[in-house]
Amino acid sequence: MTHTTDNAWQHPEVQLASGGYVVAYVAGLVLMGLSLWIVRGHVLAPMETGIAISALAGLAALIQCVLLLHLNISETQIWHTVALILFIPLFILAIGLSSWMFHGLYRRTMLMPAAHVSAPATGAQAAGAMKAPG
Amino acid sequence: MLVHIDGPWSPLLGRLALSEIPYKNPILVGTFVFAMLVGVVLVGLATYLGAWRTLWRDWLTSVDHKKIGIMYILIGLVMLFRGFIDAVMMRTQQALAVGPRSSGYLHALHGYLTPYHFGQIYTAHGTIMILFAATPLLVGIMNILVPLQIGARDMAYPYLNAVSLWLTAAGAALVMASLFIGNFAHAGWFGIVPVMELPYSPGVGVDYWMWAFQLSSIGTTLGGINLLATIVKMRAPGMTWGRLPIFTWASLSANLISLTTFPVLTVTLALLALDRYVGTHFYTAGLGGNLMLYNDLFWIWGHPEVYFVILPAFGMISEIIPTFSEKPLFGYLGMVLASLGIAGVSWGVWLHHFFTMAAAPAVNAFFSITTMVVGIPTGVKVFNWAFTMFRGRLRFELPMMWASAALFLLLVGGLTGMMNAFATNDYMVHNSVFVVAHFHMMLLLIVYAIFGGVNYWFPKVFGFRLEQRYGKMFFWLFTAGTAVVFIPMFTLGFMGMTRRLDYVAFPQWGPLLDIEVAGIAIYALSVVFLLAQLYVSFRDRAQNRAGLDAWETSRNLEWMTHSPVPFYNFAVTPEIHARDERAWRVEHGVDTVRPERYEDIHMPRNTALPLGLGLLSFGLAFGLVWRIWWLASVCAAMIVVLIVIRSFDNDTDYTIPAQDVERMERDIRDVPSGRPVTGDVAGGVPAFREGV
Repeated sequence: MTHTTDNAWQHPEVQLASGGYVVAYVAGLVLMGLSLWIVRGHVLAPMETGIAISALAGLAALIQCVLLLHLNISETQIWHTVALILFIPLFILAIGLSSWMFHGLYRRTMLMPAAHVSAPATGAQAAGAMKAPG
Repeated sequence: MLVHIDGPWSPLLGRLALSEIPYKNPILVGTFVFAMLVGVVLVGLATYLGAWRTLWRDWLTSVDHKKIGIMYILIGLVMLFRGFIDAVMMRTQQALAVGPRSSGYLHALHGYLTPYHFGQIYTAHGTIMILFAATPLLVGIMNILVPLQIGARDMAYPYLNAVSLWLTAAGAALVMASLFIGNFAHAGWFGIVPVMELPYSPGVGVDYWMWAFQLSSIGTTLGGINLLATIVKMRAPGMTWGRLPIFTWASLSANLISLTTFPVLTVTLALLALDRYVGTHFYTAGLGGNLMLYNDLFWIWGHPEVYFVILPAFGMISEIIPTFSEKPLFGYLGMVLASLGIAGVSWGVWLHHFFTMAAAPAVNAFFSITTMVVGIPTGVKVFNWAFTMFRGRLRFELPMMWASAALFLLLVGGLTGMMNAFATNDYMVHNSVFVVAHFHMMLLLIVYAIFGGVNYWFPKVFGFRLEQRYGKMFFWLFTAGTAVVFIPMFTLGFMGMTRRLDYVAFPQWGPLLDIEVAGIAIYALSVVFLLAQLYVSFRDRAQNRAGLDAWETSRNLEWMTHSPVPFYNFAVTPEIHARDERAWRVEHGVDTVRPERYEDIHMPRNTALPLGLGLLSFGLAFGLVWRIWWLASVCAAMIVVLIVIRSFDNDTDYTIPAQDVERMERDIRDVPSGRPVTGDVAGGVPAFREGV
């Protein structure tokens, strides 16, 4: 078992905080709200929607890494940053191979036809999607 | 916001009504009566023996890693029994329901189980055996052993450890509750998409499955974090990475997998929960949903999970074989790299679970190759075990019998696995019982390793060895059962029999299914001998008393403390000099040296909060299953309150003064193994708990 510090203010995470948490929280809310707006309002074509919300998710992850997890190369935090050795290959494997599989999948199946239409979604398309079986 | 559910709903009871209690089903009524009788006997026994205080103080509120490990193993054994009964029902149903002329009983057209009931049974069997039997058994063994092997007093986070245990217990209890209240999922243990979506499974079965899965996955993630932190930060002085015992290395690799993949499962199931409760369309057919997203996400967790359960099993085999070959393990570095290699490859093979689901040929080829690559580190391990045995003084005592039989299962399971790894071949055998027989070989390998490990470390935890005569009969009957069930199953797979059949349309499969029933009967008989082994061992425990080193040729740190292990593990934290510390000390004649002075020991204090969190999680999940919103909200709020209360609790540890340690150590008499002892302690882990 570990020896803990009873005073929470002494924890290194708290010592390092210095306002970054609030910024990260607000930024997270804004980015999620933006994604929600894009999806709910159908403001972009399906493929562009996917790209846009992926980019926003990437930005949110970056903000969390820097402002919440304090990943940097300073002496105190370098070991947290080294954890990326595990994270980056896993990220490439899980996301990359999944995207590769789905990329080929759409050409072979009739799953989710709307995803490959690049034109902005029209009322007719939305109505068509509503009638899809299942 | 919430999805509209057809059928009755009341604010007080949600979807729960008297009609949901299956009191008309004789099988379930019989099970209920049996469960109640066992419960009454256990409660009566505890009251008669006056054990409630001990139970509460020494077990339910304990944060001791050994007791938590034992409780994990008890949960695993109970669920193993439940899963076994499910297996018996599947075997008998398939043998009875062969051909159109087969008769039906209990409202079934053929056999005695309706398709709906049969679907629940195979779903429960898979879910239970993987998540509530194999995982708790292995987590329990890792819990007991890892701190002992690295010379730590407890886990890095003893409180979190208890929370993990009770979350797993809550999940297991939820699966059991579904027997008597409502029903269980019929959509397969991995959730056949989109059958587990609300329009196709409007009942509570899938909700039970989903929340039980979720609770156990959160518990296992927390447990993985705990074991990793323990291994990285809590090693005794001198224990460099090169001196880490091989089982600890295996645990480290396994928990790297659990840390990185169980969160994927949590998200996967959370998205399914959104689909079923608030009407999103992540996995639906149509409306923007994507069926393959579920398969992809589930198996990103699902395949690494398989290696999460097999790596500790490999670790146990790697500990047992050197002890009974009386040699150090051959190729330690190779073994470590192979464990990490298996963990590494595990993240890149998941698609082989759905080769037939329209992935591009290049994608299938990639995953075929990665799957075959798993054979390389596994092969390294097998050769290392073989070279360890080569020219060793082999003693085939019970643990060694289980470990060496596991190697044969690995051979059969591994070779059939290679056959399945070819995507082209997989098109032929996908969804057939050949695949079922293949993965049962691998899971039985884990079961064999667990039985080997339990026999091997039992004296360390309880202070006496398990009896060998009944144990060997259990081993041989269990092995016979394995052969008689699974050789016909492989054959049926080649004959084209598909999985999950509640009715068998081809009468020529009948004889082989009958042989499988004979095999499951042998399994059932073997359980009798297991119980006899446990009973006789307990009765004759004074004759089977074990000393420090129960097997005389053990090599690791855990054999340097007393058997049973005192609650503080080591009176003085040992200094590590070599890879096999115990063997090194025996060689240098310093294994019996007593420490010249004792120091204060810093220990975590018991707490009832984890038990409370477990009960509340059960309430939360039960409320969500039946959509009893008030119950779910109250439990969720109480969970937050308990966590806040705990964070303000500064009185979480205590110190045992050095003179108390010295007194307790003086009172413990280590006797050579096998010598009868009079007036000895009752045996078991709680033996040395005075002084608290």
